[in-house]
Amino acid sequence: MLLRPTIDDLRVITYNLARMLLISAAAGLVPLVWAVLTGELAPAADFLVMVGVFSLAGTAGLALKPKHDRLDWRHGMAVVALIWLVVPIIGSIPLILSGNYARWIDAFFDAVSGLTTTGLTVVQDIDHMASSMILWRHILHFLGGQGIIIAALSLFSGAGTATLYFGEGRDDRIYPSVRSTSRFIWLVAAVNGIAGVFALFLVAFLDLGFGALRSFFHAITVFMAAFDTGGFAPQSTSIQYYHSAPYELVIAVLMIAGVMSFGVHFALWRRRSVLGNLETKTILFTFAGTLILTQIGLAVAGAYGTATGLGRQTFFQVLSAHSGTGFSTIPSAELATWGGLAFGGMAIAMALGGMASSTAGGVKALRVGLTVKSIGSQIKQVLLPEGAVISDRFRQNGPRHLTEDLKQGVMAISLLYVALYIFGAGLGLVYHVPLQNALFESVSAAANVGLSVGVTAPGMPASLELTYALQMWAGRLEFISIFALIGLLWSLVRGK
Amino acid sequence: MRVVATLLAALTLLTVGATPAFAVDMVDAATLQEIPQAFSGKQIQITGELIGDYGFRDDGTVWTQLNDDPYATKPLRDGGRLSGSNIGIGVHGDAGLFENLDPPGRYDRAGPLVTVTGTWRFHDPNRSGETYLEIQTLTVDRAGVPLSQSMSTTTLIVGVLFLFAAAGVLVSARSRLG
Repeated sequence: MLLRPTIDDLRVITYNLARMLLISAAAGLVPLVWAVLTGELAPAADFLVMVGVFSLAGTAGLALKPKHDRLDWRHGMAVVALIWLVVPIIGSIPLILSGNYARWIDAFFDAVSGLTTTGLTVVQDIDHMASSMILWRHILHFLGGQGIIIAALSLFSGAGTATLYFGEGRDDRIYPSVRSTSRFIWLVAAVNGIAGVFALFLVAFLDLGFGALRSFFHAITVFMAAFDTGGFAPQSTSIQYYHSAPYELVIAVLMIAGVMSFGVHFALWRRRSVLGNLETKTILFTFAGTLILTQIGLAVAGAYGTATGLGRQTFFQVLSAHSGTGFSTIPSAELATWGGLAFGGMAIAMALGGMASSTAGGVKALRVGLTVKSIGSQIKQVLLPEGAVISDRFRQNGPRHLTEDLKQGVMAISLLYVALYIFGAGLGLVYHVPLQNALFESVSAAANVGLSVGVTAPGMPASLELTYALQMWAGRLEFISIFALIGLLWSLVRGK
Repeated sequence: MRVVATLLAALTLLTVGATPAFAVDMVDAATLQEIPQAFSGKQIQITGELIGDYGFRDDGTVWTQLNDDPYATKPLRDGGRLSGSNIGIGVHGDAGLFENLDPPGRYDRAGPLVTVTGTWRFHDPNRSGETYLEIQTLTVDRAGVPLSQSMSTTTLIVGVLFLFAAAGVLVSARSRLG
């Protein structure tokens, strides 16, 4: 029987949602202070409105404190699904007030894209946009990548908070408690942040010849987009703007750090090898495969002409696609001309995505590895004599057994991703987008990549824009918490 | 035979002389992005706003970006209208060309509007596949213009009201919940 949620259930959800809105309010203070310090007073007022709305919504939610603040799975999943909708709604306030978006839906789209670390954008005249507004777009990447949820778990305690952690599509439990794990994730982000911003600053200041403040601004924004595999860039020409191989190299290292699960970070910090892990082997194999595929495609087409040109450009583009970052060193119009194998390599790289429990999107390397292993087992079963025992073991931070439940779970989520890719591509076709472009853009949105062949642009049909936003949301949360939210809403209507 | 050869040579020289050795194509950034290979190695001329940063490198050259979208002539904060995404190309030239120029365009200023002539480098093998315009000449058509955006008092008041409301709710909740 479907049970209708009680008032106390709704209060638990609202109360926990409110705590995260207050964290978002605190995050909104950063661009507000930046705007005041840099004399961008009009944007400062826009941020004040946003911080005010976050604070009001947060305190109003806190006022509804439930009798028992115990999150069960249903509550946790609903909170996660809702926070990823409410934050973009309120977070889009300064964007629409900035005057750089024609419609509210455009600002909302960019806020969803930012928070889900996708990087697709419909912003107009970003090259004259206030630096504080650009900073806010990148902070959305950081909030989404490191996780508002992770921040909440680090700061607040409460029964059942682990449901929030798992609801966000994370399953690495580095320490016994979720709170300790969350704090470790923040430590990883802080260490990478200091090293990454410093390295980017040095290259910009010493090699690119930028001034100190501009070097710092580029460093901090590019770091947040690279490490959180986001893809927003401070200038309209993305990473092509810098014309610098050393800068691209630092970004590549940060993208690799971002695509690694925090479990891998933990293992590397402890100087443990992760090369034996199924996930590591899978991602190295798929990255090499898609890179070679793309290179063959472009070499056959006669692009670049030299091995160094082909190597540098394809390495960056494929790494950006596979890690789900979405940076590019070539314009969208040129990317749209990559046909055949090059298109295949890029699309597959985007669709497969990074490691589980990282900020990358897509199907994820572990699921790909497990799917291949399952298929291999099935084939062995057919070929070997009846009654032969087949070992379904794999290595992932120690030996593990590939159970039937695990196989089914992996297959279900992988199929949902494929369905999501096809759904978005189908809607693109309705709007007369050529098949290749429709597929590319749909995969880019659903796998939270952000590379574009020009379909995502100001003035695009609102329904297509909303569909891509929905894909980004579903792809980032890996479906389950969204199904839980739908179930909760359904039980509100039909439950007893 | 010698006469024929001389006539042929003269004809060839005339033909070559009639075609300018360095014909310059006037082109816009959108075309350069759509069909970049069509202008590979050619002399082109483009007019637009210098934007972002001037990256003065140690080798005595500068890298920057040139936009020729509608915002280049009429930025949003100077009464311009929303006209889509920015369209720009990377430009590279001797530092001397960029000395004494106004700062590049950003939020608080329109960058100098310039006409540049140079060679379009598409997938330049010497720069491992980068695409950009190697400029030889630069003329300033319009100096940089400071842009300002006054703060909306209404927005400020709304923001403050929300904060006061949040504080009020918090105080009320605290007293109610003890």
